[in-house]
Amino acid sequence: MNDTEIERALGTAEPRVNTDDALARFQARVQMDGIAPVAPVARPRVTSRWLQGLAAAAGVVIVASALTFSGLAGSILQIFEPKSVVAVPVTQSDLNYLGQACAGLNLQECMGAYGTFAWTVPPQPKEVQSRGQASAEAGFAVQAPTSLPSSVTGDPRYGVINKSAATFTFSADSTKLTAARQNRTAPPMPANIDGSKLFITGGPAVVQIWGTPSSTATSHGQADPIPTLIVGQAKAPTVSSDGITVDELRSYLLSQPGISPQLAAALRAIGDPSSTLPVPVPAELAVSHPVTVQGVQGLFIGDNTGIAAAVIWQKDGMMFEVIGSFNESQALAIANSMR
Amino acid sequence: MTLPARNPRDVVAAVSPAFEGLFRAEYARVVGIAHRVLADQGEAEDVAQDVFLSFYRGHPADAPYARAWLHAAAAHAALNALRGRDRRSRREAAQALPLEAMADDDPAVTVAASETRDEVRAVLARLPERSAAMLALRYAGLSYAEIAAALDVRASSVGTLLRRAEDAFRRELR
Repeated sequence: MNDTEIERALGTAEPRVNTDDALARFQARVQMDGIAPVAPVARPRVTSRWLQGLAAAAGVVIVASALTFSGLAGSILQIFEPKSVVAVPVTQSDLNYLGQACAGLNLQECMGAYGTFAWTVPPQPKEVQSRGQASAEAGFAVQAPTSLPSSVTGDPRYGVINKSAATFTFSADSTKLTAARQNRTAPPMPANIDGSKLFITGGPAVVQIWGTPSSTATSHGQADPIPTLIVGQAKAPTVSSDGITVDELRSYLLSQPGISPQLAAALRAIGDPSSTLPVPVPAELAVSHPVTVQGVQGLFIGDNTGIAAAVIWQKDGMMFEVIGSFNESQALAIANSMR
Repeated sequence: MTLPARNPRDVVAAVSPAFEGLFRAEYARVVGIAHRVLADQGEAEDVAQDVFLSFYRGHPADAPYARAWLHAAAAHAALNALRGRDRRSRREAAQALPLEAMADDDPAVTVAASETRDEVRAVLARLPERSAAMLALRYAGLSYAEIAAALDVRASSVGTLLRRAEDAFRRELR
């Protein structure tokens, strides 16, 4: 079979499309489903996208995470320390509500919609030159994949995020105001939650990124290429409170307007919310299911196009994630080769 | 999923000019890639709508990687759709094709060509993801540079990878 025959087998007739009709259909779908686009690329870039990505990763680590304050008194109640991860489906309506609540705001301001968020030790991502240096900075042995698919080439870049800490104080007034701005009515905040505090710390974390040459190797003004592989490792987070329990917190959060019944049911179904990290997965865009990785249960997440995949797991007090343009078996092979 | 047809004039522009420009520039190409995999224009257009929707939700229209992303997503999404078809629907789709062989008046030739086309789809579904995507992109008319950008491989490797994909395709087709 020669090339021409392959071409014939795959079909040589070009489909005739009506782009106007297709665009109208697309716009109708966007309007009908209330789908919002992402914000345009910000220009000019003040800092490199790579470092912005690191900062975002730091934010995720902090928000999704916390560690106990070693110096705090026994009155501090540890309410969250993940020992496993579970996917929770986030629907478009959840995203729309959160999007409206947080439109144009940074993480701190977004959380400020429900109270007062303050960094006590802000995350300060920085780049280091080697795995050894990353291990020294982070204070733990940084693991790396020992087997990579052929699409991943070259040396990784290393980013380290320091152990960071924040305090969040619930405010009934802020929550009421946020709901009112969206023409909704928030349920009354229980008196024991109003004014209570969450102590959140996260990290240190190390991010290894393949496929983005250092800034000196990238020509000026050219966009950074998309990473081919991102490997993250962080101290497993915990959250502490000055009194409220995780059940009280969960009940209150699930009573907020804008939380879909699907998301609420998934969060309620989590057996032990104090030790399970819920990973939000867009219900319409991605598939996810539990997988065994490094001998423990983890989570595979893939987008429906098959071009992006992530594996997340928790082992020996550390959270790990592998993200890249792989299929499931490739992503798992990378994850299982981490040493 | 197919939405009911609406008169384009009834729809107020819901997307930015930048996105509309991207859609107009790439829609036919995205459908073409999906069509190489699925051999069904209706399905290929459904895949194209989903691909643009995924992009719209997650990426800015002026992203420098927009075209490469759309091309790769078209191939992968079409391959996913192909694998999701059951055997019966694959056969129906193959028989509904506007085959070159259809011009032949001999029904035996037509049926044989239809079965070959059906088998071709089955082979594409069995091939490794990257090989199948590479064939879809190449035979949809993408240049080596465009394939390299879409599949995130070096342009200098595309020729070799494409030959391997073609060899695997021939072997599977017997």
